[in-house]
Amino acid sequence: MRKVVVIGGSAAGMMAAISAAVYDSNADVTVVSRDLTAYRRPGIPALVAGYISDPAGAGVFAGETLGQYKIRLICPAEVTNINVKTKTVSVQGEGKIQELGFDSAVIATGGYPIIPKIPGSEKKGVYTFTTFEGAQEIVEATREAETAVVVGAGFVALEIAESLMHKGLDVYFNVRSRILRKIVEPDVSEFLSRRFDKSGLKMLIGEAISEVGGAGSVEYVVHKSKKISTKVVIMGTGVKPSVSLAEKCGIALGSSGAIKVDNRMQTSVADIYAAGDCAESPDLGTGRFVYSPVGSIGAMAGRIAGANAAGGNEESKGFLRAQTDEILGMQIFSIGHSTTTAKEVNLAVTVRDLRAPVSGQDDRGAGSFETGKLLTDIDNRIVGAQLVSVYHGSQYAWQLYQAVLRGKDREKFLKEFNSPRRKFTETMLATAGSTISVENVGDDNALRWQNKLCQKQEQ
Amino acid sequence: MDKIIIVDIEKCLACKSCEIACALAHSRSKILSEAAQESPKPQRMMAVEAAGEYGVPIQCRHCESAPCIEICPTGAIHREDEQSPVVVEADLCIGCKLCMLVCPFGVLKIGKEGRAIIKCDMCYERLKEGMVPECVEACPTGAIKLVSLEEVTKSRRKEASEQIVRESGSGKGRQGKAKRVKGGK
Ligand SMILES: Cc1cc2nc3c(=O)[nH]c(=O)nc-3n(C[C@H](O)[C@H](O)[C@H](O)COP(=O)(O)OP(=O)(O)OC[C@H]3O[C@@H](n4cnc5c(N)ncnc54)[C@H](O)[C@@H]3O)c2cc1C
Repeated sequence: MRKVVVIGGSAAGMMAAISAAVYDSNADVTVVSRDLTAYRRPGIPALVAGYISDPAGAGVFAGETLGQYKIRLICPAEVTNINVKTKTVSVQGEGKIQELGFDSAVIATGGYPIIPKIPGSEKKGVYTFTTFEGAQEIVEATREAETAVVVGAGFVALEIAESLMHKGLDVYFNVRSRILRKIVEPDVSEFLSRRFDKSGLKMLIGEAISEVGGAGSVEYVVHKSKKISTKVVIMGTGVKPSVSLAEKCGIALGSSGAIKVDNRMQTSVADIYAAGDCAESPDLGTGRFVYSPVGSIGAMAGRIAGANAAGGNEESKGFLRAQTDEILGMQIFSIGHSTTTAKEVNLAVTVRDLRAPVSGQDDRGAGSFETGKLLTDIDNRIVGAQLVSVYHGSQYAWQLYQAVLRGKDREKFLKEFNSPRRKFTETMLATAGSTISVENVGDDNALRWQNKLCQKQEQ
Repeated sequence: MDKIIIVDIEKCLACKSCEIACALAHSRSKILSEAAQESPKPQRMMAVEAAGEYGVPIQCRHCESAPCIEICPTGAIHREDEQSPVVVEADLCIGCKLCMLVCPFGVLKIGKEGRAIIKCDMCYERLKEGMVPECVEACPTGAIKLVSLEEVTKSRRKEASEQIVRESGSGKGRQGKAKRVKGGK
């Protein structure tokens, strides 16, 4: 009987475990997790907003689900070492230290929050929120507080800011560069900043806070030499991959600092796989390996890692990053590459403005969007799209998703996108990056593959 | 799917009784006066959207090849069999929101409570017991109806044949539009 040990009990780890059990129903699958109970990380803002009070409120992969697949969960427990020679992991927890043998292992240790180096950022009153325990401290700290400063640029930082506003706090939002820098174009960031500011989120943009001040605990922050009083500073500045276990046993890291894997999610060491926020993953269009710490990719990569750990031979054709969120009444969609991520993989892109025939809520029935972007490569294939909407933007977002997934030809796509009822216009904005041709675009095998696993699960 | 929800927009008053019934069905207490006090407020899984001068009650279409099922990376969104509605198994939902991105109808939502995705399940439990969904039950004008596909095709056939008669009659002045137009001159 094949023994599979999964380290980490969140999106990537649990999907790896389930996938291993689906692939080989005789496999002995064990998950070791530091968490008290498995929960969905995106549930954390609900805790901060006061809608739930414990991780079980956002619980996932309950005992019943795991029981169905005969997966053993050891938690809370910590893997302190991986021995690649003896093929064992050391597990500390449940009051003892035990050695677990494995035929194959999946590392899914996720990420940990980055705390920017700002004078005073070690003070009491500075918080992070990638775990429930961290978020619980925010809940305590904001019970009495009137003001909070959230530092960050991404969706999760914005979600936390909105949750605190919901609780009645005055919230300042500090972005060193611009909002959603990684996933939208500069003018989209600017547009969002203006809107959020109007909605009452106080934007501190263009420069990092230079100091977190106070005697002992936080009393104020300094932004552009202006002092802002606050007892609570929340760092939502992204995550770094948790790679210490992997590094210790000689597993190679990629240029991003995350665990290096191949298209089968195997690490540099045979029989050890990695997936999720601790690892790199292949980008759909270019096939290059990038660091994309989002749950959707983590789960998909976890499925591949798990199936292979159980003896399969599944391969990813690359993952398409696609994110959406609703922040302060704005629906934001970002699919595939932005100019920022395109640069990282040396992909030359052209950015065009996509304009809806109506803007705002005039034509409510049809849905609308405020601002949109279309990114194409040198062969005129669509490699990225962004949309901001206040009303039913999803009517367009799904078409854009299909276009990016399939790498559709821009002109052909626009013909379909423009029905007799609606006429979109687009303007060329900029061409960025060096010229490198893209292979492999326009393959929906990744999607097909996901389905295959789904069907297996159902049988 | 053997049964679907259809809407006769001519009959919709946009009174939102369906929305209230839907939210109430998904509240903790299931009692209107208490549900209104709950935090978070009970969420409805369908909505009456304004489209020009019409109100259109819209709920999940339970698409035959549903993009949300296709894209869900964990298999949380699924249907039990071909005849069943599309449902979310919250215990497998990691909250990644990909489904919201690909739904052409925008009917998937973030659940306020645990941030799992929530959507119309066509009141599956009620259906199994032979009852109609809450929104159908609540509609005072009968604008929202649960019908079998056979009923839909039958009434479509009838409409189509009537139209053929009308159109073929127009030249000969036998009935309908053509006659009236003549008479109007
Ligand atoms: C507030 C918030 C909102 C988000 N919203 C979205 C969204 O809308 N869409 C999206 O796609 N993504 C979203 N994300 C990101 C998403 O949650 C992560 O990408 C995802 O959780 C990554 O999964 P993972 O399994 O790789 O790692 P993690 O979720 O970080 O979990 C790591 C696991 O490893 C365990 N672990 C680590 N080290 C050890 C050890 N030594 N021994 C034992 N166990 C260990 C931990 O206990 C944990 O169980 C959000 C994240 C946050 C915080």
